[in-house]
Amino acid sequence: MNESMLKAYLNLHAVLQNLEDLVKLDEEMAQLIKDWELTVEFSVRGGPEAFLEFKKGVCRHGPNAHENPTVKLYFTSAGHLNRMFDGKATPIPLKGFLRLGFLKREFAQLTNRLTYYLRPELGKLDDESYLKPNTVLTLQTALYAVKVLAMLEPTSKEIAAHIPAGVLEVEVLPAGPCLRLAFERSGISVAKGAAKCPMAKMAFKDYRVVHALLTGKLDGFLAVANGDVALQGQLPMVDNLNLILDRVPRYLA
Amino acid sequence: MESPEVRNGMKIYRYDKSTALFQRAAKVIPCGIYGHFSPTPCVPVSAYPFFSARAEGAKFWDVDGNEFVDYMCAYGPMVLGYHHPVVDEAYQVQMRQADANSLASPKMVELAEFMVDMIPIADWAFFAKNGADVTNYATMIARAATGRNKIIAIAGGYHGTTPWMQAPGHHGTIDDDHAHIRRIPWNDFAALERVVAEHPKDVAGFIASPYHHPTFADGEMPAEGYWPKVQQFLKRNGIVFIVDDVRCGFRLHLGGSNELFGFKPDLICFCKAIANGYPISALVGTESLKNAAAKVFHTGSFWFSAGPMAAALACLQEMKRIDAPKIIADKGKKLLAGMVEISKAHGFHLKVSGAPSMPYLRITDDESLMLHQQWCGECTRRGAYFTSHHNWFVSTAHTDEDIQRTLEIVDDAFKAVKQKQ
Repeated sequence: MNESMLKAYLNLHAVLQNLEDLVKLDEEMAQLIKDWELTVEFSVRGGPEAFLEFKKGVCRHGPNAHENPTVKLYFTSAGHLNRMFDGKATPIPLKGFLRLGFLKREFAQLTNRLTYYLRPELGKLDDESYLKPNTVLTLQTALYAVKVLAMLEPTSKEIAAHIPAGVLEVEVLPAGPCLRLAFERSGISVAKGAAKCPMAKMAFKDYRVVHALLTGKLDGFLAVANGDVALQGQLPMVDNLNLILDRVPRYLA
Repeated sequence: MESPEVRNGMKIYRYDKSTALFQRAAKVIPCGIYGHFSPTPCVPVSAYPFFSARAEGAKFWDVDGNEFVDYMCAYGPMVLGYHHPVVDEAYQVQMRQADANSLASPKMVELAEFMVDMIPIADWAFFAKNGADVTNYATMIARAATGRNKIIAIAGGYHGTTPWMQAPGHHGTIDDDHAHIRRIPWNDFAALERVVAEHPKDVAGFIASPYHHPTFADGEMPAEGYWPKVQQFLKRNGIVFIVDDVRCGFRLHLGGSNELFGFKPDLICFCKAIANGYPISALVGTESLKNAAAKVFHTGSFWFSAGPMAAALACLQEMKRIDAPKIIADKGKKLLAGMVEISKAHGFHLKVSGAPSMPYLRITDDESLMLHQQWCGECTRRGAYFTSHHNWFVSTAHTDEDIQRTLEIVDDAFKAVKQKQ
């Protein structure tokens, strides 16, 4: 798989899912979508698909095609989709022509807000009210990206092959988010929420620690020794997860 | 500073000075403490000290003054006890004469002669500093001798941190580092046959420890007939048979751990227990590989230091005199039998795997290891230094009193774990 296609998978399966949480974290976006009743499908020729369903003020992401989307957006190539995520291209609507105005205005407002949080402007991270959503969304992007890389990128696949079977829980204390990655013979899955019987746990003291780790300002080994990150259980799961996490910036800067 | 906590008459350790020193270390040393001494796999990290102040016999004292019966033995090098008088005296005498200077020491010849005499497969010996120096050298010799590229290793096996020895994806390695390494499951003879068939006339060497001792997992002994079958197969295919005896060497058998399991490799890598803590490693080999070994240029700044050679000679002689492997195995069996009994009394299942002289333990009531980590932490905070991720080590210096004290700690730690459940 070439890098462009891999990036398309990351955009649709790791970046886009953040909209589920953006509308919870950002009051303005919650207000924006509260009356939306539609499903938008994204489809790349010979590549990934995904959908976003908006219903009763909730956004739901699916890493596949939707059986009856309101709007269907088609991309002629992985590069086409990636350029759209960079704000440099527009999709080809295959269904939902009457919603084109909505896509250009309201929907674009939502996705622009996601970009605002994921690509911080200079000085923005000094603002605590910005730092928290930025960190939460970046962490979620990274963990969903792990699944994509572990399934599709050769080196990450090799790393993932060494991960013991079971569920790894990743939690930001004191009040979340909490995500779980399940490593099974059949593949890897990521979900939001605590695990019932985790084989390993990685808990960050707070979102500031997560931010420092994700931005390379804090050494993970030091963070563990200092108690800023608490590890438990099958640590090879954590070690190998971190190896894959460290590969994410190669594709999602 | 708070006064020490006492529970059931047992002091629960605090590590204020260790923690403060670690903060200093973090400013000037990557990771604060790196490599296998990193606190990272010690769970919970708050249960473990980071820095030791002194050591004697089978004990060490951390910088906070807490006393520990040591079951990591410096991760293997300590085998006769810290500050063993015979080994230390030999080292001191040699240091007064010469250590690192401009010529090789006669001690190097004496040590090589002693090892060739003691180790059945050895016709020659070569000395370096660390285990990886000689595992690297062994694979270079295998390639030089055969003119082939591939090295077969066991998945989950550890042979040091040079790029080819690390698993793919680790920082600082590139995909090409692994281009000629093939990893197969432990005890899987069919996999060995398959990989050799996939690379006809291109497998230079096969490297493995005498038994499988990964981290975070049970030790696994060789299956019945596995090693003799491997030995014959490698010989038939012209593949150099390398045993990485860095961790087990001299603890299980003075002739090389292969003697315990009934097989004869071509090369054996030794380090850890060879000199009771003084820095030296060795590769020994058969006559047929001596010329290839001579052709491979491999050296290091301190590889000719005579002090550690004198210490190694004294250590090996002392281990031979007292039959150290038997003493250590007996002590290990006594300790482990006591621990298993105590665990049963508390309703836990403590599984022992690997050799009694370097066992891996695991509480099987919780597959995630969290319970086991909690228990090891409670033991350590009471003075029995147990890690939960790595096999432990027993030495000839562990006294009956040390073992008795350890069993008391084990009992109290199980009580603490049970109370928290």
